[in-house]
This record gives sequence, structure tokens and C-alpha cells, in this order.
Amino acid sequence: MTAPVLERVAAGPGRRARRRPGPRRRDHLTGWLLIAPALAYFLVFLLYPALSALYYSFTDWNLRAEANWVGLANYADLLFDDVKYPHFWKSVSVTLQYTLIAVPLTLVSALVQALLLNAVRRGANLFRLLLFLPVVTAEAAVGAIWRWLYDPQYGLINTLLGLVGIPGQNWLNTPELVIPALAFIAAWQCGISMIIYLAGLKGVPATIQEAAVIDGAGPWQRFWRVTFPMLRPTTFYLLVTGVIAALQVFGLVYVIFSGNGRSVTGGPEQSGLTYVLHLYLFAFRYDAMGAACAMSFILLVFIMIVTALQFRFVRQEAA
Amino acid sequence: MSRGLVRGAAVAVLVSGLAACGGGQGGGQGDGQGGGSKELTFWMYQDRTPQAGQVMEKVRQDFEKANPGVTVKLVKIPKDDYNTKLGSAVASKSAPDAGILDQPLVSKYALDGTIKEVPAGLIDEADYYKGALDTNRAGGKLYGLPQDQTTVALFYNRKLVPTPPKTWDELQQAAARVHAADANVAGMNVPKGDGYGAWMFPGVVHGAGGQLVDDAGKKVLFDQPPAVEALQLWVDLLQSSPRKITDSDKPFENGLAAMTISGPWDVPTIREQFPDLDFGVAPLPYKSEPAGNIGGEDSVVFATGKNQDLAWKWLAFLSDAANNGAVADAFGGFPVHLKAQVVAGGPEQAAFLEQLKVAHARPAVPQWIQVNDEIIAPAIESALTGKATAQQALTDAAGKTRSLLGWNG
Repeated sequence: MTAPVLERVAAGPGRRARRRPGPRRRDHLTGWLLIAPALAYFLVFLLYPALSALYYSFTDWNLRAEANWVGLANYADLLFDDVKYPHFWKSVSVTLQYTLIAVPLTLVSALVQALLLNAVRRGANLFRLLLFLPVVTAEAAVGAIWRWLYDPQYGLINTLLGLVGIPGQNWLNTPELVIPALAFIAAWQCGISMIIYLAGLKGVPATIQEAAVIDGAGPWQRFWRVTFPMLRPTTFYLLVTGVIAALQVFGLVYVIFSGNGRSVTGGPEQSGLTYVLHLYLFAFRYDAMGAACAMSFILLVFIMIVTALQFRFVRQEAA
Repeated sequence: MSRGLVRGAAVAVLVSGLAACGGGQGGGQGDGQGGGSKELTFWMYQDRTPQAGQVMEKVRQDFEKANPGVTVKLVKIPKDDYNTKLGSAVASKSAPDAGILDQPLVSKYALDGTIKEVPAGLIDEADYYKGALDTNRAGGKLYGLPQDQTTVALFYNRKLVPTPPKTWDELQQAAARVHAADANVAGMNVPKGDGYGAWMFPGVVHGAGGQLVDDAGKKVLFDQPPAVEALQLWVDLLQSSPRKITDSDKPFENGLAAMTISGPWDVPTIREQFPDLDFGVAPLPYKSEPAGNIGGEDSVVFATGKNQDLAWKWLAFLSDAANNGAVADAFGGFPVHLKAQVVAGGPEQAAFLEQLKVAHARPAVPQWIQVNDEIIAPAIESALTGKATAQQALTDAAGKTRSLLGWNG
């Protein structure tokens, strides 16, 4: 049925123009019907839940009983009441630290991988597959593998550090090391950024590179003065999307700290209690859905501000 | 094909889609109400094994035979989704007649008034394990019947610890001996200051004759000596049990920690994956009286149900002497009825059963999970890492708990 419908739509305007140039209400109806599935999806699964969440953020809803309107109490308590929410600001600080470390690390790692792939002549597909693999690996498997890699007794990371004389660390159980350890995993999972950088690199005109070579620029100068500035729109895009994703990190910390069927309370001394994990615990473990909804809107506003600041202050045009 | 036909088809698809949605919700409700026949809906976790499914099916048929005209509908829901699904069902007033309810949720649901109190005379309380029955209490009233129970006990490596310690002193000595003999082996995998460690902590506190919260659920008591001593025990044990060893993957199973605290669920996994490990299970060491903590499944009747008497009858049937042995085993735990036949298991079973006789329910405070995770767990961790003394950490935590719960006693 699809094909005739499309034909009909494609042929429609021309034939109608000949036949009946009058009011177009019937065509509007067809149009609405055609977008109805997508519109229904948007209204039912995106807009309606988002608006309900906004409503519930002003209530004390616990997922079961009637929700009572509490006005701005959830927002005020989250920000100022450290008896009710003792770890709210901790979760903010953990998330900011994570973002500050993970995003630059991911960008550098993605760019280096993309440059290497761009330079490889043989077997580029194989390398691309291998470097992309971490992205398509199930999160639970990633968590298990990295718990082993970071293991204080048998872990490969400590073994490698031992070779260069650095003493082994208890990575996932030392509060100061938890965020760097998590950020490192994120940088390892940079495959999508890498592919986008690779596409960006393919878009740098060879003529400019050649002109730079003729002018006597070495590889280092060519990178810093030609390639990197030309990649600026790509970097900007990855920075903005990377920050948004990092502020919402959840799956990774959840699988890393939920080993052995334990309840997740965010790692040693809450050092891995990211914002969204904290939100999740209030929504589904402590039965405070109203507060959790408020947290999600605080995060939304924060992300909007951070993104607006980046658009305002970070250079985005290629030069 | 005309334009009208396309539109007609689109409308038809939309309408039939809506009808299908509506039908899905309406189905299964109406029938069974009239004509003297009654339908009872019971929500439970998905079967752990095919055998567990058969057990439930047999009990269901027996109940229907004993109560002519009654149909019991078992609705099985994956455990991970269960609480959320049940919460939404209760919120939308479409809760089942009865269902399984996680122990710490009983006091929350009781507070909301979404579950009913157990009718007087339904059961003889003396027939049940006290700890298991107590998990159904809130504000001193009984809101449900336990169906199975489980607990944690001391797992010990027979090669490293030939006889299991009975008291805290013996535990410390055993741990010290192991670590002194081999500095690469820890005496004990000391619980951590996370939600799981905080859940195990009360069992140790009870072992020193204390409790976290008083029986009336009005006073915080975990800044008192028994709790402080219990936490100090864990702090002291760390000397012979460095974290660097026990934070490794499966330290007990790999022979790097001579003792650990765990539950029956770990036994088959260890047997299967580490067949060479020679280990035993003993009740938790104690200071002044044997004690432990408790987990497992409770069952409740929802306030919106139309056949509440029948629902209670069904829950009592599941937990009675004749059925509870098999039912509890199907749910993955031990019977809650003192006269029920325990399904025979491995040699470690005796230790768990002994532990269950002295097990204590966790405090019946609606916000307990939050107190456990957000206040007690960090307090334990700060004592274990030496950032505070056991007394400081618990005094601070008790103060926070009093403020959170609004208890100024």
C-alpha cells in the first residue's frame, strides 16, 4: 500500500492544480493523517511523559499513592536541605568532575584514533571495526571486563603499571581514583566520536594540505595550523554532545558498581554517585518520584545553560 | 485507489489500534464475578525454575479443589520489574487481589493504606518463625504473611579455618591467624559501607544484644554501645583483612579470604564454579547472643481487592504447614512455618536454619531503605576507612536519621 500512496502524494499536487485549484482542506487532512503515526508517537511517548514529569516534580508522588501538590518544595529541598538529600551536591560534584575529565579525554582519544585510521593504508576496515567494538559491546559485559582489568590483585592495568615501576592501585575502591578510572573507560568507548572525526578528516581538502606542504610546513605544523582548525565544527559538535552525554552518565557507573548483585549506592564513599544514578535511586529505590522528577528538570535547565554558554564562548567555524 | 480509500484505511487502522489498546486493559477483569464463581488474582515473581512453576501450579489446583467455584490466576512478573509494575498498578487502582511484596516495602504500603491488615484469627502467630513474621509488621500491626525467608551466615574455608568461630573473639583470632600465616591471604572479607553491608550490619548489632531502632519504631538506637562495638569489630578485622586483597574479584572463592558473610544463594554457584573449594557454613559469630538478619518474600492483600477474605485464605494456604515447605523452596528460600517440611538441601542448610531461628527483621520504618543506603552505609564506610571512629560515625549518622525521620527521642 505504501508505494501507491507515495505515488498518489507525488502526483497529487499537479493533477489537482489542473482539476480543482480551490480550497485545500482535504489535502491538509491527508497530510495530517500521514504524519499521524509520528505525531502520535511524539505526543504519547515524548511530550505527554515530559509534561507529566514536570507536573509530578511539584508533587510528593511516591509511585503509588495520590500525588499531593507541594509547590517548589522538592526543588528547594534538593538544593538546600542536606538532611533530606545528603548526597545531592556530592552527586553534582561527582558529575562535574567526571565531565571535566571524561570529555577532553574522549575527544583526544577519538581524534588520535581517527588520525591513525586516516593514515593507515592497509586494513583500515579491520582497525575501524576493532576501535568501534567498545561502542557496540553490551554495557554489562563492559562493566564486568573493566572490573577485572581494574582488579587490585589480578588486574591487567596494575600489571602494566608494575612494568614501569608504578605501584598497583585499588582503582574502583579508592574514592580519589574512581572518577579517573570511569573517565578512562569512557575514553576507550569513544568510537562514535572517532567515526565523526574521521568523516571530518575526509572533509579537509587535500589542496590545502598540499599547499601547506609546498610552503614548507612539517607534519606537526600541518596538524596544528591546517587540520585542527579545519576540524573546528566537528570538535564543537562533539564537545557539545559529549558534555550533554557526560552530564547524564548512568549505565557505566551502574554496571561497574552493581557487581555480585549488590545494591548500587555509588561506589566507595559515594565517589561514583553520578547525578543520574542519584536520581534513579530516588525514583526507583527510595520511592520519591516527585523529587526525582524535580532532579531531572534541574538537570535539564543546567544542560541548557551549559550548552548555551558553549555556543556563546567556543569558536565553532572552521578557519 | 481513490484518495478516500486511503483516508478510510488510515482511519480504520487508527481506530482498530485504539480498540486493541482498550481491549487489552479490559480483558480478564469481568469474568468470574457472577454466578457464585470467584476469580482471585495473585501476583508473584517469575518462576526461578520449571520445577518451581510446577509446585505453584499444584498448590493452585489444590486450593481450587478445596474451594469449589474459586479460580486462582497466577500472574508472574520478572523480579527486576516487579516493584515498578506493582507500584503503577496500585497507583492506577488496578492492583491484584493479593501479591508478593518485598519485605522493606510492607511498611511503606501500610503507611499509604494500600494494603490490608491481617484479619484476627487467620493464623496462629506461634506457628511461624518470629523474624519472618515480624517483617510484615508496621506500627505494631501485622500487614502480611511471609512466604519464604533467607539469611546470611559465615562461610569459612576449611583449609584455612578448620573450626568455625562462634564468638567475636574467636572470629578475630581466626582472622589474625590466617593473615599471620600468609600475608597474601585475608582473614575475612569484611563487609563494605554500601547498601549491602548496611543491610548485614543489624545482624551483627543484634549479636551484641542491641538493635538499630527500638521495637516501637520511635527511637534510633544505633549510636548505642552494641552498634558501636559491632562496627568496631569490622574496623578491627580490617587489620588482618586488607582491602587490597578482599576488593579483588571473588576473594573467598579464590582462596584469598578465609571467611566471608553470604547467603544460601551463593552456595550452588560456588559449588559449580569452584568445585575444589572446601568450605563450610556456620551461624554468624556473636558477642552476647546468637543473632542474624533476614530477607525473603512477604505476601499481602491489596485494599482495592473485592475478594479479600478469599485472598487471605489463599495466602494462609500457601504458608501453612502442608504447603509452605514446597512453596518456600519454589520462591528460593526456607519455610516460614515452623512445622513445614524443609526441602532437603546440602550440608550447609542446618546452619542457615539455625541462623533463621534467631534472625531479626529490619526496622519497620517506611524510609528505611533510604536510611540504610544514604546514612548508615556512608557511616560504616567512614569508620572502615579510618576517617572517623566508630562512635563518631554512628553518632553523626544517628543524628541525621533522627532529623530525617523527625524523631527527637
